[in-house]
Amino acid sequence: MKAARSETKPRAAVRRFRVRLPNILGVIGGVIVTTLIVVAIFAPWLAPYDPKERVARPFLPPGEGHVLGTNDVGQDLLSELIVGTRVSLMVGIVAATVALIIGAAIGVLAGYYPKRLGSVLMRGVDVVLILPFLPLLIVLAAYLGRSLLNTIVVIGVLIWAEPARIIRSQVLSLRSRQYVLAARSMGASDRWTIFRHVIPRTALLATGSFVRAISGAILLEASLSFLGLGDPIQKSWGSTLFWAQTRGAFLTPAWQWWVLPPGLLIMAASLGFALIAFALEERIDPRL
Amino acid sequence: MTRKFDRRRLAQYGVVVLVAVTLNFLLPRLMPGNPLALIAGVDVGLLTTEQRAEIIADTGLDNPLWRQYVDYWGAIFTGDFGFSYRSGRPIVEMIRDRLPWTLLITGSSLAISALAGVVIGAFSAWRRGRPEDLGLLTGMISLESLPSFWLGMLLISLFSVQWGILPSFGAVTPASDLVGWEHLKDIIGHAVLPVATLTILSTPGVYLTMRYSMLETLGEDYIRTARAKGAGGRRVLFGHVARNAIAPVITVLAIRLGFAFGGTVIVEQVFSYPGLGRLVFEAVSGRDYPVMQAAFLVFTAAVLIANLVADLLYPWVDPRTRTS
Repeated sequence: MKAARSETKPRAAVRRFRVRLPNILGVIGGVIVTTLIVVAIFAPWLAPYDPKERVARPFLPPGEGHVLGTNDVGQDLLSELIVGTRVSLMVGIVAATVALIIGAAIGVLAGYYPKRLGSVLMRGVDVVLILPFLPLLIVLAAYLGRSLLNTIVVIGVLIWAEPARIIRSQVLSLRSRQYVLAARSMGASDRWTIFRHVIPRTALLATGSFVRAISGAILLEASLSFLGLGDPIQKSWGSTLFWAQTRGAFLTPAWQWWVLPPGLLIMAASLGFALIAFALEERIDPRL
Repeated sequence: MTRKFDRRRLAQYGVVVLVAVTLNFLLPRLMPGNPLALIAGVDVGLLTTEQRAEIIADTGLDNPLWRQYVDYWGAIFTGDFGFSYRSGRPIVEMIRDRLPWTLLITGSSLAISALAGVVIGAFSAWRRGRPEDLGLLTGMISLESLPSFWLGMLLISLFSVQWGILPSFGAVTPASDLVGWEHLKDIIGHAVLPVATLTILSTPGVYLTMRYSMLETLGEDYIRTARAKGAGGRRVLFGHVARNAIAPVITVLAIRLGFAFGGTVIVEQVFSYPGLGRLVFEAVSGRDYPVMQAAFLVFTAAVLIANLVADLLYPWVDPRTRTS
């Protein structure tokens, strides 16, 4: 009797923990994302200096007045990171919105009309998914030129395929559900059915893939800026690292205040959204 | 059935090649600005009229668009990618020099991350829901958000600068004239950090796929049968479950190979590693567009070959998809 009890007790604890983990991670993600959004909104008031002004000697180590020291032209690094939050989050969210709009349109159409239109569209999705992603991103960015808008467009038009695939499979299964068939047999138009019955039921799934797309887009923006293909006027975390690399900061003790913080921020932002996406996906399709 | 399937896959790969080549062809010609600058990568304003005419004749820009397109395909089929406008060298030669280095680091990192991902994924699924599983899962999700270039820079700061135990750039020590075993050791030493970076980046993908695939397989009837027959613990895990769960991982690995190949653009740049990825970066920053385009086609080919290999391996790994 006693043995049996000690056998079941930890199991129950494990089960409870299993249920909670996605929620815990989701809350952590939510806290990270909220903090960053608040910082982005109030960036000009939070930053101690104007990051575009030369306020001290170049290559200053952390010290009084400059918590993270200064960069190669004497701009305050902390201010640069605070203001950079805006570009990184903005590019991530807008690019993911572009991707979601394209992906949802194609996914819904391909799922609702699976025969001819759907198979043609999905062939297109497969092609986009196979093309070597990063080189294509770089080629496009190189031809389009360096601006914030171009960065957003390039990322947006390359990451829609995954949301499209996910939304399509959901629509495909919704299409043959009883209530959809009932609505259609009573003469509901395709448009009515799609907007009234199909889209509301893909919303949660679409939100999940939207948040995941933000997480990816933030990393891509940072990568482009790191390669010197971002907007030359805007400060972002990636461009801070570009200059740290160009000036060889990672070969000196400066890596601790010039290389470490921006990378941590990129990772935090991307991870924050990824954790929210994980919690959402786990709610829709538990894999734990 | 298989033949029909194969034909469809091949048609799909054909479309990918078509799209990649057409993109390459159209992008510089459709972009705003002078196509001459975008194709030849030259500063148009500095050229004399004769030089300009020479380059136009050389690139065939005075021909009608369809003619240029046909010629472009012709050049690809004869393996003639033209010359670099920066160094004047044939592009094919440049790619041939760079490719082995990229293959070396992507190949080794993929092999290591495949092994690590499969083993850790299997273990994690076996311990489903326990603290060790949840810890590993959380850790791997976090690793997916790691910016590759930052990871590379940190590794250099720590291993090359702080502790001084590994070289920070290049593929060999310049002008060292090492031979034999010493030369090999030199190459390995230079490859360690780039390989470590790529490995850390591609392990989570393999891990997540393996873990999920294991969980699905653990629920299958034959596993329950094996357990009921008295096969327990490790034997079921490795003899029955892992063997059957590995099939989807092959597909992921093939896709990863393609991505890892592309990811070298960033990682090789950080380590100044003389591979194909760095060639792309150099071409982009030097506006050497023909080189950039050729490298893009090589990357496309690499992705397709990886996918093809996965298609061929799949029935071998998972006999259920085999057809007589």
